[in-house]
Amino acid sequence: MDSYLADNQRQQVSRAEKALDRSLMPPCQAACPLHMDIREYVDLVAQGRIMEALQVIRSGNPFPSICAYVCTHPCEEACRRCQVDKPVAIRALKRFAVEFGGDRMVRVEAETTHHEKVAIVGSGPAGMACAYYLRRLGYPATIFEAHSELGGMLRTGIPQYRLPREILNTEVERLSWLGVEIRTNTRVVSLDLLFDIGYKAIFITIGAHQGLRMGIDGEESPGVIDGATFLREVNLGLAPSLEGRLAVVGGGNVAIDAARTAARLGAEKVKILYRRSRNELPADPAEVDMALEEGVEILFLVAPTRIKRQNGKLSISCVKMELGEPDDTGRRRPMPISGSGSNFIEEVDTLITAIGQAPQTPGDFRVRMGRGSTIQVDPVTLTTNRSGVFAGGDAVTGPATVTEALAAGRLAASRIDDYLQHRYPRVDTESRQILAGTLLPETIEMIKKVGRVEPPVLPLEARSKDFKPDELVYDWETAVNEARRCLRCGMGAEILFQDKCATCLTCLRVCPYHVPYLDDAGTIQIPPDQCLACGICVAECPAKAVILRKPYDRRQVTEELNHVLKSAAESKSKPFVIGFCCQYGLFGTGSLANLWHEARAGIWIVPVLCVAKVEAEHMLRAFEIGAEGVFIAGCGEKCARENTAAWVRQRVAKVQKALGQLGLEPERLQSFFVDTGEDSAGELDKFIEQVGELHLASVLMKEVES
Amino acid sequence: MIVAEQKPLDEIRRMIAPYGRLLILGCGTCMTVCDAGGEREVSFLHNALRLAQSRSVNGAHTFSEYTLKRQCDSEFLEPLAEKIGDIDAILSLGCGIGVQAVAERFPYMPVLPGVNTSFMGAAKEWGVWDERCAACGECRLEDTGGICPITRCTKGILNGPCAGTKNGKCEANSDVDCAWVLIYKRLERLGQLDKMRRYYPPRNFLAIPRPKRLKSKVNIAAGEDDG
Repeated sequence: MDSYLADNQRQQVSRAEKALDRSLMPPCQAACPLHMDIREYVDLVAQGRIMEALQVIRSGNPFPSICAYVCTHPCEEACRRCQVDKPVAIRALKRFAVEFGGDRMVRVEAETTHHEKVAIVGSGPAGMACAYYLRRLGYPATIFEAHSELGGMLRTGIPQYRLPREILNTEVERLSWLGVEIRTNTRVVSLDLLFDIGYKAIFITIGAHQGLRMGIDGEESPGVIDGATFLREVNLGLAPSLEGRLAVVGGGNVAIDAARTAARLGAEKVKILYRRSRNELPADPAEVDMALEEGVEILFLVAPTRIKRQNGKLSISCVKMELGEPDDTGRRRPMPISGSGSNFIEEVDTLITAIGQAPQTPGDFRVRMGRGSTIQVDPVTLTTNRSGVFAGGDAVTGPATVTEALAAGRLAASRIDDYLQHRYPRVDTESRQILAGTLLPETIEMIKKVGRVEPPVLPLEARSKDFKPDELVYDWETAVNEARRCLRCGMGAEILFQDKCATCLTCLRVCPYHVPYLDDAGTIQIPPDQCLACGICVAECPAKAVILRKPYDRRQVTEELNHVLKSAAESKSKPFVIGFCCQYGLFGTGSLANLWHEARAGIWIVPVLCVAKVEAEHMLRAFEIGAEGVFIAGCGEKCARENTAAWVRQRVAKVQKALGQLGLEPERLQSFFVDTGEDSAGELDKFIEQVGELHLASVLMKEVES
Repeated sequence: MIVAEQKPLDEIRRMIAPYGRLLILGCGTCMTVCDAGGEREVSFLHNALRLAQSRSVNGAHTFSEYTLKRQCDSEFLEPLAEKIGDIDAILSLGCGIGVQAVAERFPYMPVLPGVNTSFMGAAKEWGVWDERCAACGECRLEDTGGICPITRCTKGILNGPCAGTKNGKCEANSDVDCAWVLIYKRLERLGQLDKMRRYYPPRNFLAIPRPKRLKSKVNIAAGEDDG
């Protein structure tokens, strides 16, 4: 029976080819600083395989729970679903996977295999990631942190409602499990000292905590505070009582965080002054919306020019702005509007300036500095001008994102490893081609429009005066449906065996998205940036020249069948009924769950990633391995993609005809689609009963014959 | 392109009954395009025959499968020589030409036809095939506006339409367009309706020597092409 594949000698030749992952890197993965395998874990969530999704996430991210809360998700901006409707809610799906997959239960371990000690100065995301990976590489690592607790900006900069402290504490705890030595309340003033006490390499990741000044009169007045300092004080437990009116200058995430934090601390009225318009606002739009809901007011195209303190109040002279020509960053430059009408005064009690931050590197470190007080490093090796001293994170880049810092920490760990092992550092070369390109209008038109579902947030009254996390987790069904929106970029079909292709145009004719086309040379092309990996052409190609780029996708039905065969041989019972059930629908929407739950002894389920991938040969094969009846259960209308039911019905009809010619009753093969609105469990019962009768009749027939 | 359909499974099973070890041989050209004998149909047939075998008490066939680029040229058949050492018969899913070419190449090997070669035609849409040419050897498409009355008219008449045309359909089959109505409309579009007025003498059915042979090369030395 194992000769099923071996019989086909061409397939035998191509088996090595088949194991290769030929998929292209999707844009989300390319956009992620950590290059996480987003497509893979989103697909696993869509299949309801949360534990495996978490595994994939953990393999690319040391602190997924943190990212699940605060990642700025550049992947979502890159998501090509943007071109259809809205991007897949990747961060929220990660949150779902870490919570439901039990990330806080994961225990990581590391063994010390090297003796060279590494010091990490600063415990922000870059430092924590570096420590994590150094321990995984087997180095003793020590984190030096000036504050009383680890976390850097994660702890001092990000408000608790965005990142609950227990999440951070879990990760810190995990670092201790890993054997990272943690020295809090220890400010490092000299690197020489660290080398003297035996450290062989140092990673500087001191962040960018120094608020930039606006450079206007009265900035030193009491009542004016910079955003980073304000957030640090609040987050480290000093709860300044804010009364009266408050203004925040700036439009970044820090400004929004400061404004929302101030509102929670009792400020009567919070206004944000931003010198450009809403379009240029750099803060996360979702955060901005929530701030507005919580009563924060944003004055656009306004800049302060002077601060005067009188009678315990601050009066801020402001000027209205207009947008001029784009500047170096591509954003339109704000210009003050001249004329007396554009000046006005804002009266506030407190002013928070959040216009940017810079690192503050002690001079005794003796590292070369660059623009904006950042530390200069070699971009490949992350080395500074001092031997054995590496730097990364905000201290090098200026204020950036958590994910970028994690990536820098991870890179630093491997560079420090290279340095300590006297290896020449290799430039990271990603061998896989990155999928780029926009979807064609005719492709977009055929894609089923399924709106993005945002995770629920706490109601306004519950969150606006409290530091509880404001965003909730998806429930199971919403998460799965959201994950099914993924377009599977770069996983699509490919004509692997060009010599076999007879240019029969089947793929061109069956593609629901009009993707394959004939080029000028008369060759069929399946552009990878358009294909959505539905698998229909793969199952229909008469020359079997088309494959899916992902090995699991192209092998799995056959493999699952062989698995059924093996289990059946072990249990010494013949499978009575074999069902091909959609893995997405089966677990995802719950609508096929009945079929699954009702499965009794003798009913074997072969999970498939969409029934469109079940070929006519698979159905015959199921009968061959002993099934008395075979059914195919798909999602029908509920399919997140193309309507697959028609394809299945077509193949079922073909196999039914063959069954008839072979003297088997065609009723032994049936397809079910949950969209028919019928009670699918009842239908299945009926089917099984029918198969039973047919089986009984055939047994009797044989008795009579003999 | 040549269009065929796979023979019914019961017929194939009767045909292969005397032979134990069978090679199912697909063809990668026309038979792949018309879904009758490409690699997919080969493996479908393979699976179906094995299923039949698993359900029957007698019969002990073993099957192997292979698909060639083209069966009708002997050069493509060479790789087959080493594959047929331990088989008793070839079940060819090539068209009638392919079956004969394989039989000619392997004089001692029984070659069984797995498809019924039907006609020369084109795809109307995915999975639907229409006959378009009868290979009559006297092409008159110039006179008929590019629509062949020999294949597309039920009667194959050269001076149509007959009295059986009804609303543009054929009296023999109301699903089929009357070829001569199509021809008229096309000539009208081309401004060549005068061609409808001409009389075309009947075809000569008397002397069609078979088998036909065509030579597309120029004879250089006499006697070289005998055979």
